[in-house]
Amino acid sequence: MDFRFDIIIEYSPYLVKGTLLTIGLSLAGILIGTILGLFIGLGKIQRRKLLTWPFVWYITFFRGTPLFVQILLIHFGVIPMLIGETNGIVATIVALSLNAAAYIAEIFRAGIQSIDRGQMEAARSLGMTHVQAMRYVILPQAFKRMIPPLGNEFIVLIKESSLAAIVATPEIMYWGRAMAGQYYRVWEPYLTAAVIYLILTLSLSFLLNLLERRLKTE
Amino acid sequence: MIKVANLQKSFGSHKVLNGINVEVQPQEVVVVIGPSGSGKSTFLRCINLLETITDGHVLIEDIDITDKGSDINKVREEVGMVFQHFNLFPHKTVLENIMLAPRKVRGVPEQQARAKGMELLKKVGLEDKAEAYPDSLSGGQKQRVAIARALAMEPKIMLFDEPTSALDPEMVGEVLEVIKQLAREGMTMVVVTHEMGFAREVGDRVIFMDGGLVVEENKPDEIFENPQHERTKAFLSKVL
Repeated sequence: MDFRFDIIIEYSPYLVKGTLLTIGLSLAGILIGTILGLFIGLGKIQRRKLLTWPFVWYITFFRGTPLFVQILLIHFGVIPMLIGETNGIVATIVALSLNAAAYIAEIFRAGIQSIDRGQMEAARSLGMTHVQAMRYVILPQAFKRMIPPLGNEFIVLIKESSLAAIVATPEIMYWGRAMAGQYYRVWEPYLTAAVIYLILTLSLSFLLNLLERRLKTE
Repeated sequence: MIKVANLQKSFGSHKVLNGINVEVQPQEVVVVIGPSGSGKSTFLRCINLLETITDGHVLIEDIDITDKGSDINKVREEVGMVFQHFNLFPHKTVLENIMLAPRKVRGVPEQQARAKGMELLKKVGLEDKAEAYPDSLSGGQKQRVAIARALAMEPKIMLFDEPTSALDPEMVGEVLEVIKQLAREGMTMVVVTHEMGFAREVGDRVIFMDGGLVVEENKPDEIFENPQHERTKAFLSKVL
């Protein structure tokens, strides 16, 4: 079997651009998804049960339907409705963020609920408001426990950004498919894409491990 | 200073407190004893509204905390609480544990909070542990830090919820010693405990609770030497 390095080299400028876009899409998804996820998670655990319903349904929808379908809906439906034209990059960021937020909300909820009730009681007994107790006592501890599952979610998000290729967002897989289409080759484009994704996800887990070790208190 | 009138508390259909009436005077040390399940911890937790109150009134310095309009956070600033399981903040050092509430709730400047924190650590004999994290301390040390943390808010009342029940026997003494010291300084305190020796030595008044009611209250010597009720006698014969 011959392996044509020349076509990888020919496509390397595009793959570099695609990689940068993948990183950009992922970072945007992680950032927006985390902020959104925090609010949805807090919304779901609030005491007034009636107000939790929108958050419960949000999570049910975005966790219960394929990201593939969500991207198509957002790209061809939601975004044109809002700005009058399609835009692959915006649609991808929106879809990734909304989808990740549903999972991250559950991670936040589990993290917050895993903190012993006594912590909230101790904080409140000292005169702190509920918000202060959350801000200074509960969330810092919950955040530490959330790093491993959050890391998982971020890695999933990087990989799932590859679905953006189907709405012609020029990230890694878009160029991989272009290469495959032009030369009728299988191994070169897809193995190259796989290696790039692997480097991205390994770098992220390395950074998260570093953070986790940093936050240890013993 | 504390006035509890007809306090009732239910968890669902289970009635835990059946109408408690207790008054605590300034500088008084009231010790609450009773079998487990008698509602003594719930009673204590109602005093700073860690439990919602089903019926009745609790007045702290004439502020009715069962009134929806009263600011419970303001009241809690004046009522320190020490828990059975310490509930120290594990992500903060000992000194940070003590400084947190004064800094964030009272807005005390950093330097001042730090000085006060060190002073309190000295008082409980742990100034060398200021930079340690709670996980590295023994149970007795944790509880002494928890007392210092509550005192940092300069409360007028201190509540102790079985402060020595989670401790190894050899560490009970060091914690009780700190509480005794506070009693000598004239702190108003309500202490739920199983330490009968301590109740007798430190309490100005002992309350015996059973079945969600105050069965008997009296001076420690009276209640231990000459209990009036059958249930008090039965309980004391088991624990003394």
